[in-house]
Amino acid sequence: MNIRLATPEDLMNMQHCNLLCLPENYQMKYYFYHGLSWPQLSYVAEDEKGKIVGYVLAKMEEDAEDDPHGHITSLAVKRSHRRLGLAQKLMDQASRAMIESFGAKYVSLHVRKSNRAALHLYENTLRFSISEIEPKYYADGEDAYAMKRNLADFAKQVSMHARCRVFRRRSRLRASVNFKSHDVRLSV
Amino acid sequence: MSPSQPLPPRENTLFKRILKCYEQKQYKNGLKFAKQILCNPKYAEHGETLAMKGLTLNCLGRKDEAFDHVRRGLRNDLKSYVCWHVFGLLQRSEKKYEEAIKCYRNALKLDKDNIQILRDLSLLQIQMRDLDGYKETRYQLLVLRPTQRASWIGYAMAFHLLKDFDMALKILEEFRKTQVTVKPFDYEHSELLLYTAFVLREAEMYTELLRHLDTYEHQIVDKLFIAETRAEVNLFMCDYAATEKYYLDLLNRNPENWAYYKGLEKARRASTEEERLAIYEEQAEKFPKAHAPKRLPLNFLTGDTFRQLVDTVLRESLHKGIPPLFVTLRALYEDQWKVEVIENLVVGYVDSLQSCEKFSPQDADDTKEPPSVLLWAYGFLAQHHDFLGNTTKGLDCINTALEHTPTLIELYVIKAKIFKHAGNISEAVKCLDEAQALDTADRYINSKCAKYMLRANMTKEAEEMCAKFTREGVSAVDNLNEMQCMWFETECARAYHRSGKWGEAIKKCHEIDRHFTEIIEDQFDFHTYCMRKMTLRTYVGLLRLEDVLRQHPFYFRAAKCAIEVYLRLYDKPLADSEEDQHDSSENLNPSEIKKMRNKMRKEKKKLQQEKERQRAQQERKEQHNKARQQNDEVEGPKEEELLPDKLARPSDPLSEAIRFLKPLQMLCPNSIETHILAFEIFYRKDKLLLMLQSIKRARGIDPNHPQLHLCLIKFLRKMQEQKGALPETVSAALETATNGMFSADSLTSLNDAYLQRNGTSLPHAFAAARVMSLLDPKSREGALSLLVNFNGTLEGKDSHVCADIVEAMKSNEFGVCQEKVTEFQAKCHKLFPNAIAFGSPPANCSSNHFNSSTVINDQQPDYES
Repeated sequence: MNIRLATPEDLMNMQHCNLLCLPENYQMKYYFYHGLSWPQLSYVAEDEKGKIVGYVLAKMEEDAEDDPHGHITSLAVKRSHRRLGLAQKLMDQASRAMIESFGAKYVSLHVRKSNRAALHLYENTLRFSISEIEPKYYADGEDAYAMKRNLADFAKQVSMHARCRVFRRRSRLRASVNFKSHDVRLSV
Repeated sequence: MSPSQPLPPRENTLFKRILKCYEQKQYKNGLKFAKQILCNPKYAEHGETLAMKGLTLNCLGRKDEAFDHVRRGLRNDLKSYVCWHVFGLLQRSEKKYEEAIKCYRNALKLDKDNIQILRDLSLLQIQMRDLDGYKETRYQLLVLRPTQRASWIGYAMAFHLLKDFDMALKILEEFRKTQVTVKPFDYEHSELLLYTAFVLREAEMYTELLRHLDTYEHQIVDKLFIAETRAEVNLFMCDYAATEKYYLDLLNRNPENWAYYKGLEKARRASTEEERLAIYEEQAEKFPKAHAPKRLPLNFLTGDTFRQLVDTVLRESLHKGIPPLFVTLRALYEDQWKVEVIENLVVGYVDSLQSCEKFSPQDADDTKEPPSVLLWAYGFLAQHHDFLGNTTKGLDCINTALEHTPTLIELYVIKAKIFKHAGNISEAVKCLDEAQALDTADRYINSKCAKYMLRANMTKEAEEMCAKFTREGVSAVDNLNEMQCMWFETECARAYHRSGKWGEAIKKCHEIDRHFTEIIEDQFDFHTYCMRKMTLRTYVGLLRLEDVLRQHPFYFRAAKCAIEVYLRLYDKPLADSEEDQHDSSENLNPSEIKKMRNKMRKEKKKLQQEKERQRAQQERKEQHNKARQQNDEVEGPKEEELLPDKLARPSDPLSEAIRFLKPLQMLCPNSIETHILAFEIFYRKDKLLLMLQSIKRARGIDPNHPQLHLCLIKFLRKMQEQKGALPETVSAALETATNGMFSADSLTSLNDAYLQRNGTSLPHAFAAARVMSLLDPKSREGALSLLVNFNGTLEGKDSHVCADIVEAMKSNEFGVCQEKVTEFQAKCHKLFPNAIAFGSPPANCSSNHFNSSTVINDQQPDYES
């Protein structure tokens, strides 16, 4: 399968793939939000016909208190395309971009407590570890494991300098102002 | 600028408070202040206060009152830019953008330098793609606010979108010069530089582009963009040494990207098979875990080299047990020779594995393969035969595999697919139902099962299946609609269409259409957001995507279904009392369906009990949501509810159909179906010129298309019928346009010629037979024997075409012909023994392997976060 950076045209097909595979779904606007905020971070796996068979939808967390870090909003591979190592390959591309473009120190994600298969993948294959339990994280009341992967080793592995950066927190905060509401203002 | 109806200080303070409350979304307070002004008889008709009260009411969802107040306010004070601005905002919230633009323009006539109104106007202009207007507004904003970044960017973008690259680049460069202190790793600045690069690329200014990248490389944080752009541009400029270097770098990053291999091939100007293969072998050695360098050469290799490589790939994957092996090789099946090579290899493995547990008896290595390898080999062969249309062989293989391991979900999925292709959807549903019972936590299997159920017109059951993964407390259908789940809605629409539930079918199509409208609306917020975030490349990508959004296959399918239903409702309108037809799962075996329904009912019960437990919790949550909603702004107009009964009785079905057709004509002109659908609509409207236009466009795609042939004949007949009654200009135009297009002297001979040309294909022969029957009932006998006596070697004789022919015969399109139907079905049954449409399938085809309730937990990884 071909693995490449996601473009705006891919976002609708990623949503389709998500709806087929995962219980956590989002409206198109949320995909656009990711694509237009962090165009470097989301990747797709496609077949010969250009059909999306897997994707990773990722973002940066803009928390002034913490090191810059990425977050995996959603990762899915169609069951018909499992065991090809796509999840890992997608994650590696996204993580690399987080380091290169945003100086991410680690990447985080949430997984359902009951989803042992996913937990296994994240712990054993993708080298994440559980950082805490978030009670009632999911809409149906299930708890989530918050997981983290430190990216320092990965940064070395892909022979890059894990760059020590001071980020412009101010501009970052400004940019993360809630984009959702129709903010109609009137000046008189 | 001073207001045209000034208020005294006390009232003026109150008025300012209303504005503040509006901005802070304290609508109730806003209304209070408005009341305080309006209760004074002197200011009871104060225009701006009335307008603001209206705007506030609108935010509270009181739309009618809102319009009432705003209109009254405006009428009372036509000279107030506030009133016009407010009216514009109201129109905008109703999504009447054209109207809103007019209001803003009026407001600006009264206060030409009002920044907020100019900004609002520019947003509407970009949303409506009024690019010239946008450019002008952005110019005014730049003049008024030259120190703001967005002023420069917006103005530059206007030129870029108008393809005036030079101006766009000049403005961007002017602005860049003002950015004297660039901090290291400044993402927004980096995006600005990337946007300039993007414009340079579109302007085809390649030398400047490379120079730009060299100059600012240290400020650009998107390393992938730099590398990809350099590789592509150097290739374009024939600098092969540089291209090679960049593609090698890119492959280091991502050895699974197919485009990089293509680029490297071109950089090295590899033309012979050996030269090309060498590239992949080199990369395969470098990246032993990568699939691409092993898989891609199979596309171009021939002869023994192909055989050797595919042998290696097959053995490795079978050994490891990679379920998607077949799907990764499927694309090779265009080449008959490669298909044979693969078949021979895998059949060889199976024989050898059975006898000596090795891939080949000649293998020197004495280690034995585990038994799972044989299983996967059978699984592969099943898909292989299915792909080639040998459903019986495919079923044999998959049954053998299932006897071997009856708990492997993947095998049930394969089996279901074979049954579906074979034309036995109810067996397919059973297989997938077993599969999903094996792993109820896997939504992919669940979705597949629901999809197959919909193919079997089992809409209720499909809904219940989906409900296992949708949010608690909301109906599955509503939740899927909210989540814009278009595959489900498309399949539902088609199922309802097949079942004659016209209103329900149309409802689903409208839901899909509304998703597209909503996604186009979604752009709105990003006009401002991206300007702030500076992700302009991607933003322009979004604009271009939205322009052609309805090109998406989801829209195409929905539109096609809607048009077909509207045509049906035009041909046979429903009476007022008539209900939609219920259930016509014709091709399903009733007892099977009953069994399945029973099972589902039991499962539903279980599910319900589970839901009860979670209900208490849900209720708490809902109350919380309700409380939150009350404080929320009411967004946009409430959409009209879609009522199936009403939808099934449209006053003008053809114009409804045209509404769905328009985007197809605009965005999918290369699909012949677009023009055939267009023809069917215009045929019913007696629009000869538009019919002709559709036919001409369709002929440009495939002049021999069977459906087009029918359209053509219908058109020519209609033209003859109406010859006398047409206005002279029209008949003259038709004369010239059709001149030389159809050479035959009669429709019958035209049809004969068509049959002569295309007689070796069953769908074409079917079309010709239908035309024979249409033109002359006396020739029905001939038409029927043409179909019934079709030669077994005809092309395009798949089970669907044959099933369509059976349907047409049964509907008496060729007169009453029960014997012929039976004869034809018997013939098809021999060709497609597993298809329900032609008789009972052979006994070995049922799918009961084990009791699905015994095994619940499977440990397949389910990747999610």
